[in-house]
Amino acid sequence: MSATASLSSRAEPQPAVSPSTLAPAAVLEAKGLTKRFGAFTALNALDLEIPEGEVFCLLGANGAGKTTTINLFLNFVAPTAGTASIGGLDVTEHPLETKRHVAYIPEQVMLYKNLTGLENLDYFASLATGRSHDRDELLGYLARAGLQVDAATQRVGGYSKGMRQKVGIAIALAKRARALLLDEPTSGLDPKASNEFSELLSMLREHGAAILMATHDLFRAKESGTRVGIMKHGTLVQTLSTADIGHADLERIYLDHMRD
Amino acid sequence: MLARIATKEFTDTLRDGRFRWSAAIVITLLAAALGAGWKNYRDVKGQHDRAQTAMRDFWLNQPAKNPHSAAHYGVWAFKPRTLLSLVEQGVDPYVGVAAYLEAHKQNEFQFRPAMDATATQRFGQWTAATILQILLPLLIVVLAFPAFAGERELGTLRQLVSLGVKPSVLAGGKALGVAAGLGVLLVPATILGVMALALAASEGAFAVEMPRIGLMALTYLAYFVVFIAVSLVVSARARSSRVALLVLLAFWAVNSLVAPRVLSDVARRVAPTPSAFQFITALDADLKKGPDGHSPDVRTDSLRRTLLAKHRVSTVDSLPFNFDAVQMQQAEEDGNIVFDRHYGALYSAYRRQNIVHQLGAVVAPLLAVRALSMGLAGTDVEHHRAFADASEAYRRMLIKKMNGSMAENSRSGDFSYKADPSLWKEVPPFTYEQPPLVLSMGMQLPSLWLLLAWVVIGLVSVVRTRKLNLD
Ligand SMILES: Nc1ncnc2c1ncn2[C@@H]1O[C@H](COP(=O)(O)OP(=O)(O)O)[C@@H](O)[C@H]1O
Ligand SMILES: [Mg+2]
Repeated sequence: MSATASLSSRAEPQPAVSPSTLAPAAVLEAKGLTKRFGAFTALNALDLEIPEGEVFCLLGANGAGKTTTINLFLNFVAPTAGTASIGGLDVTEHPLETKRHVAYIPEQVMLYKNLTGLENLDYFASLATGRSHDRDELLGYLARAGLQVDAATQRVGGYSKGMRQKVGIAIALAKRARALLLDEPTSGLDPKASNEFSELLSMLREHGAAILMATHDLFRAKESGTRVGIMKHGTLVQTLSTADIGHADLERIYLDHMRD
Repeated sequence: MLARIATKEFTDTLRDGRFRWSAAIVITLLAAALGAGWKNYRDVKGQHDRAQTAMRDFWLNQPAKNPHSAAHYGVWAFKPRTLLSLVEQGVDPYVGVAAYLEAHKQNEFQFRPAMDATATQRFGQWTAATILQILLPLLIVVLAFPAFAGERELGTLRQLVSLGVKPSVLAGGKALGVAAGLGVLLVPATILGVMALALAASEGAFAVEMPRIGLMALTYLAYFVVFIAVSLVVSARARSSRVALLVLLAFWAVNSLVAPRVLSDVARRVAPTPSAFQFITALDADLKKGPDGHSPDVRTDSLRRTLLAKHRVSTVDSLPFNFDAVQMQQAEEDGNIVFDRHYGALYSAYRRQNIVHQLGAVVAPLLAVRALSMGLAGTDVEHHRAFADASEAYRRMLIKKMNGSMAENSRSGDFSYKADPSLWKEVPPFTYEQPPLVLSMGMQLPSLWLLLAWVVIGLVSVVRTRKLNLD
């Protein structure tokens, strides 16, 4: 059974999104979003709209400002100028409400090593949703994310990076996240795990999630992304639709930007 | 949500090997201290009861003898050990628990320089109270310092914050989690303690002591709440878990080691007390001077003149009572005035020292907890003073009775008069009830308020955790 099939056969419907909290146009939106650390500009006037069902891949060298962008959406850092909003709400004004619909998966999903994967999910899911979930439901999320029962009931201390990422996806599933913020989620994953991760992303996208993913991986960006944005020294220099270009074109354009 | 966070923290704690070890050590120490306290209480109480009975028998079985000699022979009064002294010895080890009551002298047993015991002095004896006051806070610090700082370093704090968890809820849940972990050792410890108290208590005494036991439990609970709150607040604000641990260890050391010592010094400066030798010397000098500056000889002469004039006789032999006995009673009462003045000054200095100690709770909550703990156990200086006053009143009553009998039943110069042994029965046995709880708590008001302030400020700071530093 493929992950997508199992998702669509899910019994519970997605909760209806009230128009008052989620603007129909863009789930994730940045307007003139700028972050300076002292005199250094890490992010320069970013304008970005990511509607439902879109995967926007941020490409860029180390230090381009990708993580800063994600941190701004999570309100982990305060913007110097401009706004970041989720579902039409400014993240600095509504720090708790905007996080209700967003799932965050960093390069390393950090979990409690003394707890099992299932217990970690149980904890994070109940904090995210404010309700408790039964074991079968949680195991269902883990299975959909690709983690089977025997692995799920082991302490996280011995988990591989890919297994942790799967717990992160399961959290997003349990949360019914409308928006995903992914910071280089596939770097360091073996090709098979990386591929599985891409499939999970497709599943989430097909289900209407708006996804912002920072990555170095041009191949993954072309495969999973609906759009790619090339970022350089804090500025979004070009945005492309993946449907319009091939791998080779993307690589050429990217390298052109990186040249100077 | 609060409960969910608390449960997770609790599970995490229970699976931590370090916690299991330290909890086992603390509970073993507590059990040992309670056991030793219980045994000591039982032994001392048995000795006291036996000695008290023997003393009374001795007094009652005195042969016919001169009442003033009987007064000189004296009796011992024993301070009944309070039930809670098995948990908190307070100043008892420094002040003694028995008073020898005899003519002409106020008991001096209570006079010991170690009255304001410092932390190091107390460190030597591991009573249950010492463990609760010193060791438990250390355990709390070790348990709680990584609460936020550790999660920040692990990266899980980002995960938590990204879920939209309210920082205040997170802090509250963590506080409850630490409290639950602590409960794992405090609940059995409390059961052990109550069992030890119930076993040691004589018929009905346990019920009488219930309010004190309950308040003492609340006092320690409040103390632990303060330490949990301080630990969480520091952990949430510290740059790293290492810094959090260092800051908290410093607070612990100031609270349990530095502040008590410094406050003892400050208290001695604010309200100096004489050394034992200085005290006795000054007392003796004043006794010789007499209460009004006239020497005892002058006072005897004026008493003689007054009484001779009143009874219109020319020699004391013609008086209808034994002048020597009347004069001895006057000397006794003169002495009492001097005693009251000196002991009164001494105890009021101790009281002022005690208030300084209690005010030290502004920086060190231990000082409030210690004062409350000793006050509730009935082992503080105020309780000691109440006993000293009661035994002194008994002594005065006894001496007055003996001198009165001699004055009435013999004539001046007749030291051969022997009172009938029935006189001994007229002196009731010495009994002592400790002051009522309200009265002893009245002395601990600064501690009560300061501890309450710590609890309120601590809890408010935890609940007001608004923004969590992520790196
Ligand atoms: N807290 C900070 N203080 C100062 N400079 C920072 C801080 N965070 C990020 N930067 C700088 O901002 C730039 C962008 O960083 P980042 O967004 O992490 O890049 P990346 O695209 O590799 O994720 C980098 O040059 C980084 O050194
Ligand atoms: Mg980065």
